[in-house]
Amino acid sequence: MKSVGRILPPASGFAAVQLLVILVVVAALFVFPYLVVNPYVLHLMILLFLSVAMGESWNVIGGYCGQYSVGHAAYFGVGAYAALMLLQYQHVAPWWGVWVAIAAALVISLLIGTICFRLRGPYFVLASIAVAEIIRLVVLNWKQFTNGAEGILLVDIPPLKVGATVLTDWLSKTPFYYLGLILALATLLVNYLVQHSKLGYFLQAIREDQDAAHSLGINLSFYKNVALAISALFTAVSGVYYGLYIGFIDPASVLGVDLSVQMVLICIIGGIGTNFGPVVGALVLVPLSEALRANLLSKVLFSLGVVKETSRVGGFLKENLAHAHVLIYGILVVVVILFMPDGVLGFGRKLIAQRSRPFSAKPTSLVGGLDGSA
Amino acid sequence: MRVLLQSTASGILIGGVYALVGIGLTIIYGVMRVINFAHGELLMLGMYLTWIIFTSFGIDPFISIAITIPAMFLFGAFLQKVLINRVLNALPQNQILLTIGLGLVLSNLVMLIYTSDYKIITTSYSSSTINLAGLPLSLPLTISLLITSVITGILYVFLLKTDTGQAIRATAQDRDAAQLMGINVKRMSVLAFGIGTALAGTAGALVSPTYYIFPQVGGAFTLKAFVIVVLGGMGSVIGATLGGIIIGVTESLAAVYISSGMKEVFVYVLFLLVLLFKPSGLLGRSRM
Amino acid sequence: MALLEISHVFKFFGGLAANSDIVCSVESGMIMGLIGPNGSGKTTLFNCITGYYPPSRGDIVFKGQRLNGLKPDRVCKLGMARTWQKVRPLAKLTVLENVMVGALARTSSLKVARQAATHQLELMRMEKKANVLAGSLSIGERKKLEVARVLATQPELVLLDEVMGGLNPVESEEIIELILDIKKRGLTQMVIEHDMKAIMRISDRVVVLNSGEKLAEGTPQEIVRNPDVITAYLGSARVA
Repeated sequence: MKSVGRILPPASGFAAVQLLVILVVVAALFVFPYLVVNPYVLHLMILLFLSVAMGESWNVIGGYCGQYSVGHAAYFGVGAYAALMLLQYQHVAPWWGVWVAIAAALVISLLIGTICFRLRGPYFVLASIAVAEIIRLVVLNWKQFTNGAEGILLVDIPPLKVGATVLTDWLSKTPFYYLGLILALATLLVNYLVQHSKLGYFLQAIREDQDAAHSLGINLSFYKNVALAISALFTAVSGVYYGLYIGFIDPASVLGVDLSVQMVLICIIGGIGTNFGPVVGALVLVPLSEALRANLLSKVLFSLGVVKETSRVGGFLKENLAHAHVLIYGILVVVVILFMPDGVLGFGRKLIAQRSRPFSAKPTSLVGGLDGSA
Repeated sequence: MRVLLQSTASGILIGGVYALVGIGLTIIYGVMRVINFAHGELLMLGMYLTWIIFTSFGIDPFISIAITIPAMFLFGAFLQKVLINRVLNALPQNQILLTIGLGLVLSNLVMLIYTSDYKIITTSYSSSTINLAGLPLSLPLTISLLITSVITGILYVFLLKTDTGQAIRATAQDRDAAQLMGINVKRMSVLAFGIGTALAGTAGALVSPTYYIFPQVGGAFTLKAFVIVVLGGMGSVIGATLGGIIIGVTESLAAVYISSGMKEVFVYVLFLLVLLFKPSGLLGRSRM
Repeated sequence: MALLEISHVFKFFGGLAANSDIVCSVESGMIMGLIGPNGSGKTTLFNCITGYYPPSRGDIVFKGQRLNGLKPDRVCKLGMARTWQKVRPLAKLTVLENVMVGALARTSSLKVARQAATHQLELMRMEKKANVLAGSLSIGERKKLEVARVLATQPELVLLDEVMGGLNPVESEEIIELILDIKKRGLTQMVIEHDMKAIMRISDRVVVLNSGEKLAEGTPQEIVRNPDVITAYLGSARVA
């Protein structure tokens, strides 16, 4: 998979450099909370880790295997609800509850896989949306069990103890920061392992040409289900993480189509089917949506004098730009699909390739172009 | 028994509107092979347009259709030329994502301008009923069924009898062959998307006296529209008509006999069953 | 016992009999040519044999095992591989990775697969293109790639579907040599082709299909002199 996911040419010298860079970055991230204590910055990093985890998880089934599930909120929400319901109502600590969440997500993924994987392309997308909606509506309406639209408000999380020592009581952002970092790194690692394994080769073969893959001895439904299971597992864990951190979940926030679209978006912005694509996507989306939410954009425009805060436009921006982040998501999706279907990474690779081979007789298309052919 | 008849009857009434939405979607798919995920949002736009005309000029929703239809048609043609045309040859996944994005943009733009507050159109007859064979039926929905039937009839005549209509059907059957026969397939795509949008917008206009109007209302309609289209067979106008009625009745019966909140679940479950056992739908594909 | 036994195979699509009562035996080590005008049912037969869809009636027996309805991946694991009339490269993967996918049918080790794939590419004289994306290859290269990929699955029987279609004479000659080389390696082949000269050179036996039915079977020399075959082919043979 040297062609997919690497920006630098495959020389071993470069591989060592890449590894070193990664280790330095990871070390820096581990040290980060000791240097930066601003809770808002930590919050941003947590959101970043969550987005990376969601994107990398989706990438396994969507990016590598080519099965675009737009119903992944099902796993996220089921994971969140399983763990939080056990914690809130049965006082089961989340480090046990997460296993139940994983089991639930795996069962659902097997069910969805069996039903939906015989469907091709657009039918699969539709089915994945339908299943997620069914789950959302069931959770919404099963009030006795899930508290319906009111959601679940977490009262507290039991302290994490090893023997008699308390590791954390979850009262600051720092434990969530480290948990998120570990989750994000885990999903990146899983992506890497999948990519460089027989599984990765088979998944990509399925994505490129399902019938050809089938005729080469690849059991389609088995491998698709494996990919989906891995994806569902980590998406569910992300859901548990979200629930614990935010402390409140309801059907709209953890089971909605918006969330499913967001997961897909994180991947396609960065570059679908690449290891670091979701990281890039998260780095674009999280600051953007936070900037909108915190009205940063409006504040910048006001301070630059472009728009007067007291004017009608200014008032309008102040009121509404905060809610516009979904609008921006929509615009981003449209722009990316039209102009950068292989995401930022793919676009970047195309630029680099064109620059280094200005007179190629046969364009070496590193990216697939809008029609999927090279 | 009365309850059964009553809920079946109201299911048929709303089914007519669903059919209109489904027909629009199936024409778009039939001619362009594009899965339009923004279809519900087009319906929502029709609702808002009707509301604007109603609150600004006091024109009754059933009359303002005369404005809504051409306006939505033009908007659809515009969307096709600017956006959809660019992804006609793209991977289906990318097409889907594009239309999903479009839907998000439309619904959130409306939310930005008009907020999420529910709007309603109250006319003198909004809650009136008429009596048909002893069954009380919602008057606005009955009128909308009548209008839907007229529109569907005109559509059938257009598709079957006129040159342009036959050109559209030819393009849906075999794009390349149609092009070789001298049909301007690009123009057919614009027409198809325009017609599809107009039908969706009209459906929105027709239900505006009886539904809450808010930016997210399109979402549920989109998925339902797909269920209808798959049920009837992708590309089949007759299938979409039948499918719409079936879904309308299913939903109505589910709401009465099981629970109003869960009625959509039944529609989606039916959808999954159809996808599993008869994905080509009741009437098969590509036959308009 | 023949390696592949096609016994009274029928395939219906609705009312159309794409394959009608096809009877044919492929002995181990031979090259069986399969010819016929366009639409005569050749690719349909391949699809039935390899499990892309099951035959409507009849039996397909490979190495003594009845295959009917077995899925393509199981058929491949049993030792039968096929190429496609319209080439199917795994476009976003490199040439080497394409062939590795084939090799991974027999091993779970990437290292072993890489070695096997490199070996196949060397046999095809394509090793220089190992790191090129498959999607950017020319048609001739794509066809060779597909054969290399299929050979990497270590088949006993290879079904080649118009592997010379769209190639220039030089490329076609390469393929012919390749096919003969594959035979030397001990593999059995069934080859669909329109190029009569090529068929004459490579085939041990030839089966002729027409309108879904088997029209004739025999040695290349017999077939070429068969009046029914000549009538069926009048005007459509490419005698290059």
